[in-house]
Amino acid sequence: MSPAPLLELRQLVKNYGGVRALRGVDFDLRAGEVHALLGENGAGKSTLIKVVTGAHAPNGGTITLAGQTVSGLTPATARALGIACIYQQPALFPDLTVAENLALRLNAPSPAARMRWSDCRARATKLLARIGAEISPDAEVRSLSMPEQQLVEIACALGSGARIVVMDEPTASLTQKEQHLLFAVVRDLRQNGVGVIYISHRLEEIFALADRVTVLRDGQSVGTHPVAGIDEAGLIRLMVGREVAQIYPAAESAPGTVVLSLNQLGCRSSGVSNVSFDVRAGEVFGLGGLVGAGRTELARILFGLTPADSGTITLGGQTLTLRTPQAAVAHGIAYVPEDRRRHGVVLDLPIAHNMTMAIHRRLFPTTWLRFGAERALTLDYIRDLAVKCSGPEARGGSLSGGNQQKVALARWLATKPKLLILDEPTQGVDVGAKSEIHKIVRRLAKEGLAVILISSDLPEVIGMSDRIGVMGGGTLRAILPGGSDPHVVMAAALGTAA
Amino acid sequence: MSATPPAPAPGLGSWKSRLLSHEMLLFYVLIALWLFFYFAGTTVNRRGVTVGFGTLDRQFDILRHSCEIGLLALALTPIIITAGIDLSVGSLLGLCAILFGQLWHDGGLPIPVAAGLTLVIGALAGGLNAVLITALRIPPLIVTLGTYSLFRGLAEALTRGSITYTDFPASFLYLGQERWLGLPTQAWIFFAVAIVVGVLVHRTTFGRAFRTIGFSPEGARYAGIPVARRLALAYVLAGLIAAIAAIIYTARLGQAKADAGTGYELFAITAVVLGGTSIFGGKGSVIGTLLGVAAIAVLKNGLACLPVVMRMNAAEEMSGLLTGALLLFALSAGVVPQLWSGFRQRASAT
Repeated sequence: MSPAPLLELRQLVKNYGGVRALRGVDFDLRAGEVHALLGENGAGKSTLIKVVTGAHAPNGGTITLAGQTVSGLTPATARALGIACIYQQPALFPDLTVAENLALRLNAPSPAARMRWSDCRARATKLLARIGAEISPDAEVRSLSMPEQQLVEIACALGSGARIVVMDEPTASLTQKEQHLLFAVVRDLRQNGVGVIYISHRLEEIFALADRVTVLRDGQSVGTHPVAGIDEAGLIRLMVGREVAQIYPAAESAPGTVVLSLNQLGCRSSGVSNVSFDVRAGEVFGLGGLVGAGRTELARILFGLTPADSGTITLGGQTLTLRTPQAAVAHGIAYVPEDRRRHGVVLDLPIAHNMTMAIHRRLFPTTWLRFGAERALTLDYIRDLAVKCSGPEARGGSLSGGNQQKVALARWLATKPKLLILDEPTQGVDVGAKSEIHKIVRRLAKEGLAVILISSDLPEVIGMSDRIGVMGGGTLRAILPGGSDPHVVMAAALGTAA
Repeated sequence: MSATPPAPAPGLGSWKSRLLSHEMLLFYVLIALWLFFYFAGTTVNRRGVTVGFGTLDRQFDILRHSCEIGLLALALTPIIITAGIDLSVGSLLGLCAILFGQLWHDGGLPIPVAAGLTLVIGALAGGLNAVLITALRIPPLIVTLGTYSLFRGLAEALTRGSITYTDFPASFLYLGQERWLGLPTQAWIFFAVAIVVGVLVHRTTFGRAFRTIGFSPEGARYAGIPVARRLALAYVLAGLIAAIAAIIYTARLGQAKADAGTGYELFAITAVVLGGTSIFGGKGSVIGTLLGVAAIAVLKNGLACLPVVMRMNAAEEMSGLLTGALLLFALSAGVVPQLWSGFRQRASAT
């Protein structure tokens, strides 16, 4: 009989409002193993981690730690029970030294205790040496590189006597060499009987590092396998699964002339390089890929938010230099951003203000506000896009997510653009509004608009697009026809041959 | 156009919310204050002459003395709507007064030319704030705290701390000390600036941009609004208005000196915030600012007319105290209804 696993989850359920993020997940972690967690965006990985680390309370199911069922887990109790989490972006205090950061995390909080800084320093030195990190305990965290900061986090986890270490895409920002150092540390943790939950999109890492892998899909576990007994194609098959048949409006028009043409486009500061593709009038060009693939970064280049430093953008035969959003708007580029509440809609302003925000020059040529004209235009779009609201004066923040998205869309349709970039237009939108937005997008394409549709929802990007550009690592990995096999798209996104 | 229903005024809903708007509440308070001082602060002296708050002369005097702070408050309204701040307007008033005096007295320029150049200098000083805020991305509070000292220091350096420019011609002093069409001359300029700023904030796309930036600078950027240019406009305009205030100040006192307008920025900010403009940006109105200026002026001058305050010789102290109290009351008045409705919701939920 093997000893009880370090962590055992049974039928874990977590709902956010009406959204079921986890629907009865089973998972277990043994001492001295690296257990990889794999799944598409929105499959439930982050939610699972949040429940395990006590950040969110589950709605059902049990969490068993070393044979003991725990309930009412909070971040503090999770840490006390030996669960540590290392995030992509280390959460350290940049102005404190490494030793001070470690002391802050590891010392038991007590109001009147005297700090023994020499002890703290000695402990920091010991912990850093144990993971083979060549970092001075007196270095300010600000001066450390991202991987060095991650190592400090790991030292922290070790110092707290963590038995379970969760790593959320730890290699996303690391170079090859830094990855090898990190892998060595992970293997060392395993040797010492620590259980590691390892989340990554990079399949090669999983094969290099993990002992077992669990694949999540739509909030459910679709299987746990020893890594030795599965190959890449098998993993991709598990991730994608059989799609639930969903009806997407069919393309009604043949794409026309080339509207947008990108040639070797790149921007060093946002990590996009060497992107080339064309988008035609009346075409929906999907951009698929996983989080961090560089799709939003590409959109930000096209909208002048982070100007390109290499390659060319040609719109309607004219080569453009886009240094500001105003320039992009003036040339007929519209961008409905991913973060609706921060960028897409100004929540405190009325719908009317939001809808006319990008057409001040055309609607109010003398800068004098014409309330009547504004109201008429707003009412037209409210009717046209079926925005559910109490009227043009309703504040943006009073609408539901789907209706906010329609307001954001109306703002950009009012500019009469040549190119419309939609970034995750149906994220956080209910099913009804989602299908309405799909119909609107199809109608716009039929009217001759060139549309770039960025979506992490694989069925959506496959069902809606005439062609699909698959991005990964800041570059375009493949261009596939619309309606492609999801497995092929996923394989391209992961950068493997399926 | 006949097909579209008439548009309600922006930001106002039903008549009920209109009557309970911040501006209207402040208006009621202002009326109450005014009536109180009218009855408590008006007396008849031994020779049978009515003196104190209730006289027309005193009312005009209040208006005359409010113009400079009122102008600075108008300058600050668009800036605070963008969620910014300008602490340098009072110092800039001093610097512009000195430069105006120098241009006229030492430079030998005619008054209108000197005044015109002063306005240009004021706008340029506002431009300095604008460049530091938009191009270098330094927070407005820090930038204008720096120029607050810089402008005042320059004014003192130019006069070596002692020179005062006086002996302005009577034709210029008319602007600050006489009446035109029944009102103190400078009041006409104040009202004109109020209308310009009011139109800018409430009736043009610039005002829309100020509000949008105030609520969400990132949202404004993603909507293609030229955020830096709009912010720059607000600060340059503030510099220009501060220069106008400097000329009026000089004409009222008949002298230009380096300490002109010391501390005015705080009175102006108080008036703007009292008038309902949110220090967090987005919300605010020029009418509110005018009411805020009026409330502070009535409070300050009315107290000075109360016999009890006169006996204690404590008008300044009392007005500071009560202005502070009024401000805190006005700010909490906006929060209390929210707290109350939140409390009621919680009570009904259990």
